Amino acid sequence: MIKLGKTLAEKLLGTHTETGKASAGEIVDASVDLLMVHEVLGSRILSVLEEMGVEKVWDPERILVVNDHWAPASDTQSAEIHIRNRRFVRQQGITHFCDVDCGICHQVLPEMGLVKPGDLVIGSDSHSTTYGAFNAFSTGLAATDSAIILATGKCWFRVPESIRIETTGRLPEMVMSKDLILKIVSDLGSSGANYRSIEFHGLTIDSMSVASRMTMCNMTVEAGAKCGLMTVNDAVRDWVSIHAPSAQWTPTLPDTDAEYLETIKIDLNSEPLGPIVALPHSPANGRPVSEVEGVRIDQAFIGSCTNGRLEDLEIAARILKGKRVNAGCRMVITPASRDTYLQALRSGYVETFVRAGAVVTNSTCGACVGGHLGVLGPGETCISSTNRNFRGRMGHPDSKVYLASPATVAASAIEGVITDPRRAA
Amino acid sequence: MPKGTGVLSGRIWLFGDNVDTDQIIQGRYLTILDYSEMAGHAFEIPRPEFAGNVKRGDIVVAGENFGGGSSREEAPHVLLELGVGCVVAESFSRLFYRNAFNIGLPALIVPDITNSAKDGMTLELNLVKGAVSVVETGQILHGQPLPRLMLEILRAGGAVPWYRKKKRKQS
Repeated sequence: MIKLGKTLAEKLLGTHTETGKASAGEIVDASVDLLMVHEVLGSRILSVLEEMGVEKVWDPERILVVNDHWAPASDTQSAEIHIRNRRFVRQQGITHFCDVDCGICHQVLPEMGLVKPGDLVIGSDSHSTTYGAFNAFSTGLAATDSAIILATGKCWFRVPESIRIETTGRLPEMVMSKDLILKIVSDLGSSGANYRSIEFHGLTIDSMSVASRMTMCNMTVEAGAKCGLMTVNDAVRDWVSIHAPSAQWTPTLPDTDAEYLETIKIDLNSEPLGPIVALPHSPANGRPVSEVEGVRIDQAFIGSCTNGRLEDLEIAARILKGKRVNAGCRMVITPASRDTYLQALRSGYVETFVRAGAVVTNSTCGACVGGHLGVLGPGETCISSTNRNFRGRMGHPDSKVYLASPATVAASAIEGVITDPRRAA
Repeated sequence: MPKGTGVLSGRIWLFGDNVDTDQIIQGRYLTILDYSEMAGHAFEIPRPEFAGNVKRGDIVVAGENFGGGSSREEAPHVLLELGVGCVVAESFSRLFYRNAFNIGLPALIVPDITNSAKDGMTLELNLVKGAVSVVETGQILHGQPLPRLMLEILRAGGAVPWYRKKKRKQS
């Protein structure tokens, strides 16, 4: 039998198994480098731990607890969940804790230097695919699996088959990595990558900022993917040297003869990409912005683990500078973390937003999960830089969410209708 | 699941493709700490009558990509809480599938099930063989037998008892 080469998923998982190997389709036990849990710790995981009879976590230095979804508490129930999380952190001596002042888990985890290339990172949140941008294997699990990892540091995984996507060419002005991933998710369909790893390659990805890469890996789960993986580039090297300066790591590459289910090639030079908007109620409903221009909006939202980072706020500030949010709609901006907020303050973006008539909130998952700070009412329409537009996701079941890049959201906020950001430039 | 047999039967609640986690249980209910209270909101958006009318042993039947979206274990949990015996779908999101077995709710993949199953009819199913039959029409469909690990977790009664059993064996 010919021995085939390994994909990134096989290699990254393989270094965490006892045999040092992992092949697509097989079920392996793997040791986790870091587990991130948020409010689901207090609401669900603690009772599972109790049922399991676990008194001590496996390693208090390899756990990050974040209070981010309803931060600060939006009601007495979320307040109680936060109390439970704080108590657990104290009792277990957990090293890494982000209370309600820190920001969104998927942004603060890399900021704290808790992911480096080669790691296996698990989060109690589906968007834990985000850390693939750092050449780490990362995916989301829920309460029971998180409890088992908290107890043992290990978990079983079915090693995923991989889809390889090679992208070359430049993203035009006002077109962002969000537009690219909305196109990819729409081409694949909402279950097109179910159980699979999406492996991103090509010069477009190699030349992207860390923030742009995170946006793409973050949204791979919207095509059903288990993970979205990238190789290391200069931006990641710089990031790790700043945020995890003492970390030892080596980059992981797939073998040249690795086996993929499919290889998709995207050439942005021969087929230039324009802004994409995903129509209600699926992230896989992406269409060119021209097809929905003029749709009236009640709210424009920029934030979330997908697009609330500094470069997202920077492009929004560029578009909003000296302009006013349309009187027919409101704008809410939620920086992805406290650090992002501080940088936006220093750069003058926050003042630009406030002067334009936008509401700038503290960092939280807030509006994206229909939790607080921007919930939609009956019949309302929102254009949002977030990741999901399922029916009822951001509030009332009869509200509608259009997903877009921060540039498209900012341009639309000024006009009060969905607008091509290339005309705002 | 009934010990040893893996045979179930129940009334069908039929759903379409891409029933995402917000349709099963909306994000705004996730801070409810009590599952029995939360379960009253199951399928509130697509079928508001579900929680009040579902009976123990009823079977949820759906099309492609059932349970896509959030990692929330609350999605299978509210169904289990209401007594749903099994979810049968043409395909599942990986998170819903894994979460369902973890809490002891069987999930069976049966291609084209929505073409044969009608709302309110009765479905009989054999989890080990992966076979289902629509009682009223006598139509038999063959799904995928449960993977060994999922059957093992299910037979233990979910991932927590499965974990405890494994731990006992090791020590």
